[in-house]
Amino acid sequence: MIVPMSHILAISATMFLMGFACVLAQRNLIMVLIGVEIMLNAVGLTLVGASALWEQVDGQIFVIFLMAMTSAEVSISLALVVYLNRRKHTLEADAFSEMKG
Amino acid sequence: MNPLLLFLILLFPLAAAVVNALLGTRLPRGAVVATAVGGVALSALASFLLWPLAAGEGTRATLYTWMASGDFSAAVEIVYDRISAPMALMVTFVATLIHLYAAGYMEEEKDYARFFALLNLFVFAMLVIVLSDNLLLLFLGWEGVGFCSYGLIGFWYFEERNADAGRKAFLVTRVGDVFLGVALLWLFALTGTLSISQINEAAAGFAPGTLFLLSLLLLGGACGKSAQLPFMTWLPDAMAGPTPVSALIHAATMVTAGVYLLCRLFPLVSLSPEAMAVIALVGVATALYAATCAAAQREIKRVLAYSTMSQVGFMFLAVGIGSVSAALFHLFTHAFFKALLFMGAGCVIHMTAGENDIYRMGGLARRDRLLFWCFLIGALCLAGAPLTSGFFSKDGILVTAFASEVPLHRFLWGAGSFIALLTAFYTFRLLYLVFLGAEKRPVGAHRHHLPGVMRWTLVPLAALALLGGLFDLPPLYGGGHALREWLGPLAGIGPHLPHAVEWLLAGVATSIFLLGWVFAHLRYRIAPAPGESLGARFLLSGWWADRAVYTVVVRPFGSLARFFWKVADGRLIDGSLHTLAEGSNVLGEGLRRLTTGRLHNYLTALGWGGVVMLAWFLAGYLL
Repeated sequence: MIVPMSHILAISATMFLMGFACVLAQRNLIMVLIGVEIMLNAVGLTLVGASALWEQVDGQIFVIFLMAMTSAEVSISLALVVYLNRRKHTLEADAFSEMKG
Repeated sequence: MNPLLLFLILLFPLAAAVVNALLGTRLPRGAVVATAVGGVALSALASFLLWPLAAGEGTRATLYTWMASGDFSAAVEIVYDRISAPMALMVTFVATLIHLYAAGYMEEEKDYARFFALLNLFVFAMLVIVLSDNLLLLFLGWEGVGFCSYGLIGFWYFEERNADAGRKAFLVTRVGDVFLGVALLWLFALTGTLSISQINEAAAGFAPGTLFLLSLLLLGGACGKSAQLPFMTWLPDAMAGPTPVSALIHAATMVTAGVYLLCRLFPLVSLSPEAMAVIALVGVATALYAATCAAAQREIKRVLAYSTMSQVGFMFLAVGIGSVSAALFHLFTHAFFKALLFMGAGCVIHMTAGENDIYRMGGLARRDRLLFWCFLIGALCLAGAPLTSGFFSKDGILVTAFASEVPLHRFLWGAGSFIALLTAFYTFRLLYLVFLGAEKRPVGAHRHHLPGVMRWTLVPLAALALLGGLFDLPPLYGGGHALREWLGPLAGIGPHLPHAVEWLLAGVATSIFLLGWVFAHLRYRIAPAPGESLGARFLLSGWWADRAVYTVVVRPFGSLARFFWKVADGRLIDGSLHTLAEGSNVLGEGLRRLTTGRLHNYLTALGWGGVVMLAWFLAGYLL
């Protein structure tokens, strides 16, 4: 391996935390979704790295599935976002608190 | 004759009751009345025709085994013997006359079907008591009488007062029934049977203490039904019912059931002299109590109710001194003259358009001669006028008490004579206030039609009351103690006195009667005004017995019930459940705050959860 595994892990951990920070900090639903995407990609990076490290192809196949699933998820999420925007003319996450107990 | 024919005596009133209960509202009034009267009359006819079966040892008949379980078995068995046969004949005969009378009395009543059905059922239940040879079957009749009296005393239940009186009669007699129930269970435990004849045979083998307690338990049951101290408070209130009911309850049935029970179980009771003394003392105490109360009552039916209580006290006294024949003799004569008096009182109330207060009556003798003479005969019997039936029967009891060797009985004779004086006094008071003197009410407007059947049923009863003494005429007057001879070995002790002493006692009784008359004459012929003193009010309210019962029994019971309601149930059970519910409610309120519905709170919580988990793993890795 050209790149040491520890670097890959460090980068993906950083990406994961940045994505998580984005999810937590941003109020806009689209930005939250973007944060989620970054987190997913961080996980995918780890999988690819590990696959290379152990010289097994499972991890890379898994990442391809991950991408397919992500695209599906994004299309549904965006549809929901459009629907929610129509309902309240805002994308503020806190505006949608109807599930309050 | 087939012994099973005896069941006809029971069947007729029961069938009439069932017909009237099921179809009474659809049948015309005439058919209902005919069914009711016919049922009882046929029963009377059957008891009369089957009389030969009672001779000798009597006849037993078993219909079927009512219940059987292990050692225990109770059969529907009846016995027609020397005690039950005359009793059944008397009950059915008097009940027939009362039913006839009721047909006139209830002429304007709309709910006549219920009335006659209950009346017939009452007679049936009483006949079950009289004829039963099994204590369990007797208990069935015992409770049946209680139920019917409840239904009949509270017959006009639209008025709260009447319904209360019915409930009171039911509850107070129930207390006595508990004692009887305990006695039944104990007797079964001792002998393994509930047959009266077998129990009487086995009684000789019981320990004296057992006998004493058993007799007291039986006495408790008898006191409840017969309105003796301390269960007497229901009887005066029972006057809330229609007058035929009062006549039926206070003459032929119900109150005599207690005396009859003691007579049936006399072989057992008589084995315990202490219990006999208690019975006699209870009788005398009740007779004295009731006689004093009767002397102050203002309502005509209450006077008669207290006098019934007093006379039943005399019967208890007779049983207590050991003479079944004297008790039964007085029971029969009393049934005749008390039914007569009650029915006369019903006529009086009818004539005065519902007036009950004797101080507002008067002068009725001129209004209805026949009624006056019949009532006079009944009153003379009650007062113990010489040569009437009441004189012979009451004197029989007192003479027996006087003749006895036991020192206590001489004292009882004195007390009984004093009560006889009071009896004569209050009887003549009643006569003077109701029938003599000036009329207190304007007649014309209130003149009330008196159905003929109500007047003419008085006549046979008056004849029986007048001549009833012949049933057990003492040899002193040329009789042969017919009832005593008939009862034979069951009669108990009899008086054996020199003729001179008997004449003396008869003279004493006569002078007591005259003395009571004179007192009443002086007091009520000249100044007929109700007493307003404390003593009069004390007697009017029946020695404040109701208040005493209220203070001693009802109020503590109410307090106890309220304690269990408010504290045990309210605070302890409900309280703990409420606290539990409140606690989970508060917990839920607290947890509710966690679900804000805001996405970021959830995500933050997720993040913190992840941090904690990572820290946990890290700690596990490092340590």
